[in-house]
Amino acid sequence: MTAVSQSPLARAPRGAAPRTGKPRRNALLWVAEHAALVAVGVLTIAPILFVVLTSLMSSNQALTASIIPKPFDLSNYGKVFTQLPLAQWFGNSALYAVLATAFMLVSSVPAAYALAQIKFKGANLVFTVIIVAMLLPPQVTAVPVYVMWSHLHLTGTLWPLILPNLLGDAFSIFLLRQFFMTIPKEYGDAARIDGCGEWRVLWRVIVPMARPGIASAAIFMFFHSWNDYYGPLLYASENQAAWPVAYGLATFRGQHGTDWSMTMAMTVVVMVPVVVIFFFAQKAFVEGIALTGVKG
Amino acid sequence: MSLPRPTIRRIVTATAVAATGALVMAGCSSGSSAASIDESAPKELKGTVSLWHFFTGREAGVVKSAVDGFEKANPGVTVDIHAGQDDEKLQKAISSGQNIDVGLSYSTAIVGSFCSSGAFRDLSPYIKRDKVDLSDIPKAVQGYTAYKGKRCTLPALADVSALMYNKAAFAKAGITTPPKTLDELKADGLKLTTYNADGSIKQLGFNPLIDFYENSPEHFAPMINGTWLDKQGNSEIGTSAAWKKLITWQKGYVDAIGYDKLKAFTSGLGQEFAADNAFQTGQVAMQIDGEYRTAFIKDQKPDLDYGTAPTPVLEGVGNYGSTYIAGNVAGVAKGSKNPELAWALLKYLSTNTDAQVTLGNGLKNIPTITSALQSPDLEVDANYKTFVDVAGDPKTITSPATADGAAYIGTFTKFWQAYQQNGGDLDAKLKKLDSDIDNANQLAGP
Amino acid sequence: MSAPTRTASGREARLGRSSRPADPTGSGAAPTPAPPRRRRSAESRRRLVALGMLAPALAGLAVFFAYPLVASVFYSFTRYNQLQEPQFVGLLNYRFLFTQDPQIGPAVLNTIWFVVILVPVRIVFGLLVAGLLSRAKTMTGFWRTLFYLPALVPPVASVVAFVFLFNPGTGPVNQILRVFGIDGPLWFNDPSWSKPSLVILGVWVMGDIMIIFLASLLDVPRDLYEAASLDGATGMQQVRHITLPTISPVIGFAAVTGVIAALQYFTEAAVASSVASGKATIGGGTAALLGYPGTSLLTYTELLYQHGFANFQFGYASAMAVVLFVVTAVVLVFTLRRISVFRPEADQ
Repeated sequence: MTAVSQSPLARAPRGAAPRTGKPRRNALLWVAEHAALVAVGVLTIAPILFVVLTSLMSSNQALTASIIPKPFDLSNYGKVFTQLPLAQWFGNSALYAVLATAFMLVSSVPAAYALAQIKFKGANLVFTVIIVAMLLPPQVTAVPVYVMWSHLHLTGTLWPLILPNLLGDAFSIFLLRQFFMTIPKEYGDAARIDGCGEWRVLWRVIVPMARPGIASAAIFMFFHSWNDYYGPLLYASENQAAWPVAYGLATFRGQHGTDWSMTMAMTVVVMVPVVVIFFFAQKAFVEGIALTGVKG
Repeated sequence: MSLPRPTIRRIVTATAVAATGALVMAGCSSGSSAASIDESAPKELKGTVSLWHFFTGREAGVVKSAVDGFEKANPGVTVDIHAGQDDEKLQKAISSGQNIDVGLSYSTAIVGSFCSSGAFRDLSPYIKRDKVDLSDIPKAVQGYTAYKGKRCTLPALADVSALMYNKAAFAKAGITTPPKTLDELKADGLKLTTYNADGSIKQLGFNPLIDFYENSPEHFAPMINGTWLDKQGNSEIGTSAAWKKLITWQKGYVDAIGYDKLKAFTSGLGQEFAADNAFQTGQVAMQIDGEYRTAFIKDQKPDLDYGTAPTPVLEGVGNYGSTYIAGNVAGVAKGSKNPELAWALLKYLSTNTDAQVTLGNGLKNIPTITSALQSPDLEVDANYKTFVDVAGDPKTITSPATADGAAYIGTFTKFWQAYQQNGGDLDAKLKKLDSDIDNANQLAGP
Repeated sequence: MSAPTRTASGREARLGRSSRPADPTGSGAAPTPAPPRRRRSAESRRRLVALGMLAPALAGLAVFFAYPLVASVFYSFTRYNQLQEPQFVGLLNYRFLFTQDPQIGPAVLNTIWFVVILVPVRIVFGLLVAGLLSRAKTMTGFWRTLFYLPALVPPVASVVAFVFLFNPGTGPVNQILRVFGIDGPLWFNDPSWSKPSLVILGVWVMGDIMIIFLASLLDVPRDLYEAASLDGATGMQQVRHITLPTISPVIGFAAVTGVIAALQYFTEAAVASSVASGKATIGGGTAALLGYPGTSLLTYTELLYQHGFANFQFGYASAMAVVLFVVTAVVLVFTLRRISVFRPEADQ
């Protein structure tokens, strides 16, 4: 069972419309609802199941119409690491995601705190600009930014995707600010009375309390970087050594075309870390999602 | 809500700063192209030179062995190879100032844009100084490696296409000689096509669909001796009677079988360069393909009983025995830090007979110097001989370079794909095709 | 909410940092309010600190948001391929964009198609599944995780998987349909089915929308329902008059973010085209495959990428970017005020 937290999702469901009507209708309803749940569940898991099954087939069998591998062939999982520089691509993805997240936290936590907990003239304007920056399609700014990075001779690498996070990330600031606003002002004020400056208030008081929110923002940033395709397409496509796994999966073709069973094995390998991290960070993740849209 | 004055002033200032920033950014270009070169070639070559090319896998290995020959002849030199780089990536690398000395492109598309923009350096000073004999290069090949008189690339092997046919299927259907005209091609193709009980195609004699494997306007062009642009660079595809006849013939063939059936069949076929290539599995009995296919067949299905013959032509319009030739081009990148070394490598790959024969034999591509084409070391069997012959045919054609690269061929291909599916008023559509091509060329500039 | 006045100088605390020492006599006498000059300097000191904390973000906004926006407008009036200086060409790019580009029509129509179809379908399915889940009493954590799983998967991976599963000849989907006697379409290889296939994919990954709907559904106060059923309202009436109005802000949020995402739809379409066409990208480049089959999956941002980064027509791509910006700005102007989560005054 999920641990108790403030998130409405973890509480026992209390918002569901109560059941009305006779017991027999209730039983039918129960059956119908659970049948629907199971059906949706099956449709949800089926694609993943097929992918896993195909990854266990031989390359030739993957080209046929069969669904069950015979025999079960684990060699694809070895092949994806030996025939492709997959380990290197994983390293690139990890570097990108970890650094981007770390840089984002350093720049965005104070910014979000300032917007949430410090009253100053212009706060609303800055917040509105950040919302617009967050919602703006990246393609609008793509060309000049690309020109900028090529003058710095950083194209062909992932640095144009990592470094900007040192100057804040709009979505993270938005998310963190929403979270910081749920922290009662008393705590900060108490510290201010004791003579703490804003930085110390942030570091000593707010951050320890805001761990779930910060964790959410970090996880979002991590996944966003891990799953990014457009960014690497723009900046790293010409340098295979710099590809992250998402880009490698979409782009790599065997020299003579797609080897489907190997591609499916690669797909599974790319999915696994994300699922694993999610299981460990579920609570924070779910809280973070609730913050983006539920309040208000 | 009107903004207060100080805010407006701030906005204007910010905009001015940003605009200046943009100008400054744009001003820094990607390296200077040397206007003058050294008086004489360096006596001894030393250092590292980077070669970017698009081959992968087995074919990349062949390039490496040719490059090894260069390294052996120049012990002080290391060649840093970047494989799998298509034209997009070459352009990205050059324009963003990455480390690239020699770029080997798989097609002639970039010649126009790279020559006019200076992405590839002008090679004429080097050619003149080192007395390189250009007459060893066939005329059509010379044609597609320069743009408006500026030579910024040299050819490094080429591709030609011809008809390939499955001998076993021919014997079974009682066909004794490969088709020479389009009418014969259609008749034979329909004869060789068999169907399943539910009406779907079982084996296809010839797949007329543009976008199947190597079916493209370029490879079909020899059927009608097609031309593309006039002297001013405007499209003459729409106004040429020849293309109209060919498109009409192709549409007739598609409709004879049925577009939906063909599309369904094609979607289920294997991938072009994999072992389940439809010609290699026998699912398609005849196809127009390039000479490199012989290498793939030898590697993936050596027991295939097949023959080759020149591309069939429209009677009275096309020249039987000719083909469309286009190939790899190589140049020295604008920002190259070691242009002499880059030029030496380029010269080696494009004019050294041994290098060309090695590449020709390994890639099964056509050498682009006559001395290599006629070299006894070049492996030519009965099937490959067709390709060598059509490559040397005086009526062989190519397609011109433009500043917009091969965009006009892409536009043409998309038009043809739509027409083969939907049909319609061909004259009107051809007229629109011409204006689309001309507009796009204007956008790209001279 | 005001801070509890634990000390005599608590009042000052509410006004901000004060340089006046706490009343040592502890007499609790109400201190005179700080003179206006000190209040203003306290406020400006606060402002300085806040701006200090915001400094990296503000710099980021200037460098990666404001400057590129202006620069895009500037470039849109030039012809620029990064190998030479930009040449001023006036309105040439805009003329091509609005009257001559043969691909702009399909690109705009496809993008609008995704906005109009993909967004509502995902919201509807997200609502339905969230509704289902909100009524479940047992194993809620399990179901929630299961339904969210597809949204977690990297989009590239899910697209590759779907193209494989929907392969017209050998894929499991058509095989299962064959069992029922249905002759499945060509899915990702058929221009009329390629966009719907992506909608199916979009529905499979609706977990990200579903989860915020679920949270919001669970937040609806139960007494409202109880009162309504006491008054004799049926289930459907309760949904219409209680549930939907209460969760409408979240629906609005999902709609706005969905529309913005659809306007820039790129990855799924590009990867689907590339994988379904089966062509090794050797020699072709990514851009050559965009839109496959035909131009059915060509979106506006894909066309922008093709012109900008495949053909290196930075000027024209910038013109396309400017138009995209204008459209997005219009959407934002009309909706930002309505979505409370985006209003700065929320929760104050």
